[in-house]
Amino acid sequence: MDQVLINTLIRGGELSLLAIGVTMVYGTLRFPNFAHVEFATAGAYITLFFSAVFGLDLVLAGVIAIVLVALIGVASDVLVFRHLRLAHPVMPMIASFGLGIAIRETVRGSAGTSPFFLSQTLAERWHVFGATITDTQVLILLLALLAVIGFHLLLTRTQLGIAMRAVSDNADLSLASGIFSERIIRLVWLIGAAMAALGGILIGLETQLQPNMGIGLIIAMFAAALLGGIGNPYGAVLGAFVVAFAENVLLATNWAWLGTLVGMDVDYLMIPTGYKEAISFVVLILVLLVRPRGILGDPAR
Amino acid sequence: MIEFLIYLLTIIGIWGLLSLSLNVQFGLAGLINLGHIVFFMVGGYASAILVMFHGWPMPLAWIAAMAISALVGVIMTIPTATLRQDYWAISSLAFAEIIRFVLKNTPIQGDYIGASFGIPDIPQPLGDMLSTHGFYLFFLVLTLVLLALTYAVVEWITRSPYGRVLKAIREDDHVALALGKNVRSVRMRAMAIGGAIGGLAGAMFAHYNAFIQPNYFLPLETFLIWAMLLLGGKGNHLGAIVGTVVIELLYNSTRFLKDFIDIDQGVLSSARMVVIGILIILVVLYMPNGLVPEKRRRYARE
Repeated sequence: MDQVLINTLIRGGELSLLAIGVTMVYGTLRFPNFAHVEFATAGAYITLFFSAVFGLDLVLAGVIAIVLVALIGVASDVLVFRHLRLAHPVMPMIASFGLGIAIRETVRGSAGTSPFFLSQTLAERWHVFGATITDTQVLILLLALLAVIGFHLLLTRTQLGIAMRAVSDNADLSLASGIFSERIIRLVWLIGAAMAALGGILIGLETQLQPNMGIGLIIAMFAAALLGGIGNPYGAVLGAFVVAFAENVLLATNWAWLGTLVGMDVDYLMIPTGYKEAISFVVLILVLLVRPRGILGDPAR
Repeated sequence: MIEFLIYLLTIIGIWGLLSLSLNVQFGLAGLINLGHIVFFMVGGYASAILVMFHGWPMPLAWIAAMAISALVGVIMTIPTATLRQDYWAISSLAFAEIIRFVLKNTPIQGDYIGASFGIPDIPQPLGDMLSTHGFYLFFLVLTLVLLALTYAVVEWITRSPYGRVLKAIREDDHVALALGKNVRSVRMRAMAIGGAIGGLAGAMFAHYNAFIQPNYFLPLETFLIWAMLLLGGKGNHLGAIVGTVVIELLYNSTRFLKDFIDIDQGVLSSARMVVIGILIILVVLYMPNGLVPEKRRRYARE
């Protein structure tokens, strides 16, 4: 069970980094950005590029990647989404999918489909309470935690963060109160893309890099954001851990007791691991059926 | 070359059905269905399973596939009453993926049919009576006939009083509600009609390709259908077909480009997708009404 908890924490940390950015953009601009997961892919691959091709230190390469992806995030707003502020919400949604395809296929075309690894060294393993955790995983947990705490401090302790929350809550009202929304929106893109890039790098460190690593996270990320209530970064973190918990715990649980209830004579009844990716979708739909605005969102109309 | 042309036209015909069916749901009813590929997938699987493992005759299996896909459409409308439009859009994507995962994890017969192996050796209509070339020609004619029929049906729906209610709901469902229209039932019927057409396309594809597997039905496919519809012009059936032709030409362009351009196949195939991605963005930015914009009736002079 401890192993399940560690896996939940790591997956939850990685998902949080993605979900925070997408929920902030969603809250501010009212559309789900399907390209957001590709910021993670781009972050991981740019890190790989600078560390493998230029031989830079992994940390330095990672920092460069985060800065570059943050700029890509701002550029995508300036070039595309800024022009769609007044359009039907489906327009930026479809545009974001086009952007996602363009980024993903650029990665695939230049790096190929074979998987890459960011760290070549064998990870050091520690045993804690019967569970195994690698040094990479500890690093991932620490970085994810730092990023979330940093973002929390930004939101609560700075003028900028308060403005961001105001714009995310009600863009028109905050404009009327003298907040220059456009500048705040660009900052939301900058920070959101940077956090997604960090998430992508961490996922790359833990597992491997492949062009589909982002698109595979799309439902888990939206499930996290929607579960927490759109525009609510704390909800996104909560949602990320709910999704991670569901994925890991439901798969590790022996459901034999449920089988005996319906009269099956089994000792062992598990959800096949092939369904792992489907769990976040089921959780998403179930929660939306009960609480259409998410766990922390306003109650249903 | 002629074989390729026949293939291309058949594919355009099948995907034309898909854009028409999305047009009924989004273009007319305004439902942002991001899981549209689910109808195609369910239709294909239903028809293949009924014909191969239950001995149904093919025409009957196609009709059953349409009915099952229509039912899927009806099920998808259940949360529209409570969910916000954009939440429903994301749930529809999730719904399609859940169905895909179920198919991906369920063996149909033995160990190697169904699940991620897909269904091989799906019988082709008149496949054993015609030569290979003859079959492809026959199937092209069949596809074009069914496309023309479907086109006539959706055009008729659009012009009917029901079509006008759909457009009214698309513009503002509160107004339609205030006029005493049963918004929920009207939407449900739009999802059923679109589902049936999508199911027909899926059944046709399964029996044309003779092989289907869960990875044919990724969310990317749904977005390609969206790209076709938006590029052609939403709300306009002619536009849906025009968009399908353009996107399919681009999508299949690598097949003939590879003879003229000497670069790696993988790079070329990625480049093609980058072009489609950028094209989608450009259409949204500069041509939001598409190549063939919907004709809107004017009730007052400005």
